[in-house]
Amino acid sequence: MSSISSPVRQDLLLQFEAAARSAAASIERVPYSAESLAAAVKRIATGRIAIAETLDLPPDLFADLRKLPGLVRGRSKEELAACDVGVTEAFAGVARTGSVCVAVDHDYSGAISLLARMHVAVLSAETITERPGDLFNPRYLHGKTLQRNFVFITGPSATADMGPLVRGVHGPHQLHIIILE
Amino acid sequence: MSNPATVASPRTVANKSEKPALLGAIRMALEIESPAVRHNTQAFNSGRYLATAAIPDYDRLKDQARATKEAAIARLPELLATLEASVKGNGGNFFLAKTGEEAARYITKVCTDHQARLVVKGKSMTSEEVHLNLHLEAAGIEVAETDLAEFILQIADEQPSHLIGPAIHYSRERITALFKKRFQTDLPLDTGEELTRFAREMLRQKFLNADAGISGANFITADTGSIVLVESEGNIRLTSQLPPLHIAIAGVEKVLPKREDLAPFIELIAPSATGQGLASYTSVLTPPMQAAPALSDSPVQREFHLVLVDNGRLQMREDPVLHEALYCIRCGACLNSCANFQTVGGHAFGGETYSGGIGGSWEAGTRGLLNARFSELCTGCSRCVMQCPVRIDIPWLNSNLRERINECDLEKSGSILEKAAAAQFHAKAPLPKIFFGRYDLFGKWGSRLAPLSNWINNLPITRALMERLVGVDRRRQLPPFASTTLSSAARRLSPSKASSCRGKAALFPDIFTNYGSPERGLAAIEVLRSVGIDLVLTEVSADGRASLSQGLIKTAQQQAQRTSELLLKYIREGREIIVVEPSALAMLRLDYRRFLPHDVFEEIRAHSFEAVEYLWRILQERQLNAADFFSAFRHPLGTRLFYHSHCQQKTIGAAAPTEEMLRAVGFDVATSGVECCGMAGSFGYKKDFYDLSMGVGEDLFNQVRATEAEGERRTLVATGTSCQEQLHAGLQRKVFHPMELLAAIRATAEI
Repeated sequence: MSSISSPVRQDLLLQFEAAARSAAASIERVPYSAESLAAAVKRIATGRIAIAETLDLPPDLFADLRKLPGLVRGRSKEELAACDVGVTEAFAGVARTGSVCVAVDHDYSGAISLLARMHVAVLSAETITERPGDLFNPRYLHGKTLQRNFVFITGPSATADMGPLVRGVHGPHQLHIIILE
Repeated sequence: MSNPATVASPRTVANKSEKPALLGAIRMALEIESPAVRHNTQAFNSGRYLATAAIPDYDRLKDQARATKEAAIARLPELLATLEASVKGNGGNFFLAKTGEEAARYITKVCTDHQARLVVKGKSMTSEEVHLNLHLEAAGIEVAETDLAEFILQIADEQPSHLIGPAIHYSRERITALFKKRFQTDLPLDTGEELTRFAREMLRQKFLNADAGISGANFITADTGSIVLVESEGNIRLTSQLPPLHIAIAGVEKVLPKREDLAPFIELIAPSATGQGLASYTSVLTPPMQAAPALSDSPVQREFHLVLVDNGRLQMREDPVLHEALYCIRCGACLNSCANFQTVGGHAFGGETYSGGIGGSWEAGTRGLLNARFSELCTGCSRCVMQCPVRIDIPWLNSNLRERINECDLEKSGSILEKAAAAQFHAKAPLPKIFFGRYDLFGKWGSRLAPLSNWINNLPITRALMERLVGVDRRRQLPPFASTTLSSAARRLSPSKASSCRGKAALFPDIFTNYGSPERGLAAIEVLRSVGIDLVLTEVSADGRASLSQGLIKTAQQQAQRTSELLLKYIREGREIIVVEPSALAMLRLDYRRFLPHDVFEEIRAHSFEAVEYLWRILQERQLNAADFFSAFRHPLGTRLFYHSHCQQKTIGAAAPTEEMLRAVGFDVATSGVECCGMAGSFGYKKDFYDLSMGVGEDLFNQVRATEAEGERRTLVATGTSCQEQLHAGLQRKVFHPMELLAAIRATAEI
């Protein structure tokens, strides 16, 4: 089990990437800087973009993102629902399932990660842990308290209720994970 | 099959407390819903096998989850008090509803107090149980079901047919037809994508305009007042977080002591349910959410109500048997792994809300015993037992429900003849149950009187009478009674003459082998002795399987007691117990834990083997090469086999050795991938279930046909008696027991 502040375990990182892809997420590694992050988002995101505040990551890291064209500042549910892309931090990743954990009560992260057609989750590599249950283990949390309100996100929203598997239902059609190294 | 004019609609057969309604529901499901149900449940089922195999400590997680649930239900009243304090401390509201009615009224009042006009709902079986929508709509509130399956059901006005996929009985084509009939639209609705887009757009508007959101809860933690919501679509996240008012409704049994306790459950629920590592969204919330202001221009405090429903659960908790059902986490694994469920789904194998093997206990607990009548569709095949993430012994629950329903039926509608028979056999059950449950007695007399008894049995007048009196379908050929039983035939065999003794064993002549198919037993004796096993036969004793399967639990208990005393004598002489019939072996290895002291059960379990399993084990232990003793190339029918292992044989882990043995001696073995053949002991013989049984069998027959379409014909092999009968009925071909094959191909010289 890794912990929130332990060094990156390459095996977990690789396992995380493979699991996230098989859960139909897209994924890329990006150097840990505001410019690189903004450039990465710019490559994949077009249209109206909503960006939530960072949680554990330094706020400066998202500074360049806010200079992207199409930035939406409004926070009404109608404005957020009209966005094409929502960017949030993910405070943890789960290697076995390829899940990212988002604190849904932190600066509209819940709505921003859900209402747009594409959700971009920004994840710091050293927060990747082995399995979902680790999130509930004080040892992994390393002195921090677990978020009161969060969600394990595993791939885009999906349904098989209409017959075949369809991706993109009430939530995003695409989940893009950016791992900061 | 009945004619379509008589086919009922799902809604009209929701209440199956009377037998004719149950039979009507089975007909309806076979006519209309079977293909979609089969396709969807089997996809879930194979997904689950893959996903759970990928969890390295799957068994440990199940133990942990089971232990947590046992403790939680034991401490429930205390946990409810803790939870109430936690929820209130968080700024939420807590309501414990004694009845479903009370829950529905409370929620309706909260909504009307808020002047709510539109409510969005996530999927919640508990809300179905308490008829919440009816109450809300009666108060003039529009209810939008937002889970796409529930959306379909709301349009169709049907009850759910599955705990986690409530509309799995709908094919894409039927959904298209339903939407086209219901909605005036020019949009194309001919693919899953188009249907989903259409529903998404419609429901997005509902979400944005909703005054309140009502969700269920998969788990609730007493220490923090947190709830877990598991979903794939995102509708539950929107329901719980977009409107200013969130109400969660759940049964009291969902409460766990601590948030830390969630770990095994979160890791088990999605793999067990849909075969995913985690569902798309697993939310762990501690409402009302404090940090995020409402999604409106002026921040408003969000409001949260947790409504816990008793509605019979606290009484279930006191029930010596049914309390186990409260451990259920509603993953649906028992539904998907059930051959009968795969064939008809929850509109036949289910009550008004809860379905499948576990559903009987829930309907009995929340609505009343007779609403569990559909649990008769549980054949006790046991395939669900190892699939349950909290290790609920579902067949045991259903045997007990059967016993209670038997007593009720006899009391209510038993004829004088039936009551006399019941008194005679010391069993409070209708005649058909006694007939099937006491095969030991019928077999004994049938064999004594054979071949006369077989001749009588097959007279049209007898078949007609038996169909009427004891419910044996006249289209089924009853297995003939053997005029020479295994125990009397074995006496004529010369004893073991192998010079080297490689093992000491005693063959237990189960009643099916003894009275019905002694040739399988004789082949086993011959084969085992030929490899140097010092083998004796035990006395005949009813092991309890037949009576247990009919809900004659007290009889089964006595039979288990007698059989265990008999077997222990041999075990203490240093002999292993060999059983030919897998359903009898499963009694010894699995079900006897209900009937015997723990140490006695463990002793019998550890020393009991299926015949080929024992043979394979001896060969392995002595490092002997199976091919030195047996050679497939000697078999007159060739080396290509199709092997179907018995359901209970798979559950107790006794199927693989036969496959390995047959391959080791040179057979080319194709195996079936079905959970159960559909005959399931006496189930398929019953007039009421003949069509269902043959419907289940179709999967097996088709697998044989498909395998043979790729090459030549294969010799059919099955270990279970009833599987053998079913394969024979479906394909009209001879079916062999593995021991019969081995007896035919053994080396003549002693090795």
